[in-house]
Amino acid sequence: MKRWIVFGVPLLAFVILVGFLFSGLFSDPRALDSQVKGKPVPDFSLPDLMNPAQTYTPDVFKGKVTLLNVWGVWCVTCAVELPYLTQLVEQEQVNIVGLYFDQDLDPDFGTKTIERVQQEVVEITSQFGNPYQFHIFDVFRDTSLDLGVTGAPEHFLIDSNGVIRMHHIGDINERVWRNKVGPLYHQLHQELAGQPQ
Amino acid sequence: MKRGLLFIALLFASLVAQATEEAYEFDTLQQRLLFQTLTAELRCPMCQNQNIADSDAMISHDMRRKVYTLIKQGKNEEEIIGYMKSRYGDFIHYKPPVTPVTMWLWLAPILFSIIALLVVFLRRRTTPPEDMAAKLAKAEAMLEQDK
Repeated sequence: MKRWIVFGVPLLAFVILVGFLFSGLFSDPRALDSQVKGKPVPDFSLPDLMNPAQTYTPDVFKGKVTLLNVWGVWCVTCAVELPYLTQLVEQEQVNIVGLYFDQDLDPDFGTKTIERVQQEVVEITSQFGNPYQFHIFDVFRDTSLDLGVTGAPEHFLIDSNGVIRMHHIGDINERVWRNKVGPLYHQLHQELAGQPQ
Repeated sequence: MKRGLLFIALLFASLVAQATEEAYEFDTLQQRLLFQTLTAELRCPMCQNQNIADSDAMISHDMRRKVYTLIKQGKNEEEIIGYMKSRYGDFIHYKPPVTPVTMWLWLAPILFSIIALLVVFLRRRTTPPEDMAAKLAKAEAMLEQDK
């Protein structure tokens, strides 16, 4: 009995430690718990990138399922995912809205004009594909901060009530869409179809 | 000569402009100190282990600007940390909160020390005294034989 304790307890402790460290090998230190999931889109009032006279509020998400794509032309991965997002629009009629923010357009010391930004966006989307219904222009990057955005690209799945149901950090490719984002997107569509009009 | 001087003067002028790019101005010393404390304590969510004072990531620039704005609005330290935590989670602050999961960070070393002390203490106690007496008798007997 005593021998069992002397050898068993350290062995058990060792096995637990190894199990803990082993699971750590496969955990992603960049994966953060989203704080906005399950909450309505934070309040904002932002202009359209292409037509700044038009202003959007969170009401713009009401009534349909939206994939909000946080992006910018300076972000290489964003350009890489444009062809696949365009394909999603063509094949599955996904409603994709861009939340555009610019790196060089520093709110305090900005020198870049909005025309220049518009021109860059047109250049990129005509080259790689344009999946966007429209772009909400996060001028001071405040809304990105409210959404807990760490960089670009990031994606938010927003249901027809304007509630954020998923926050996906990183690009959307075929694998991510099939395993993670797509299933919830279709589920949200079914929820919308089931709602009384 | 004059042109050379002017050139040097311009060179320095641009350097100064660079250095003051993010010079935030505060009304009071307390506000400045609070800004320094907060930017040292808040962690850049993009980088793995850098505070926002140290990081050059865009998100850190934005967070510094937000901290500055909030201080200017008269928010205190807890309010600003709460503001950031509500957006980026506990990850954003270098001081983890005590929860049932993180509690073990503090408890584990204490528990380990207690267990180690108990083991040492109990092992000492288990050496039976009569054993010592028997050993002594045996040693005496051997000495007797050698005589």
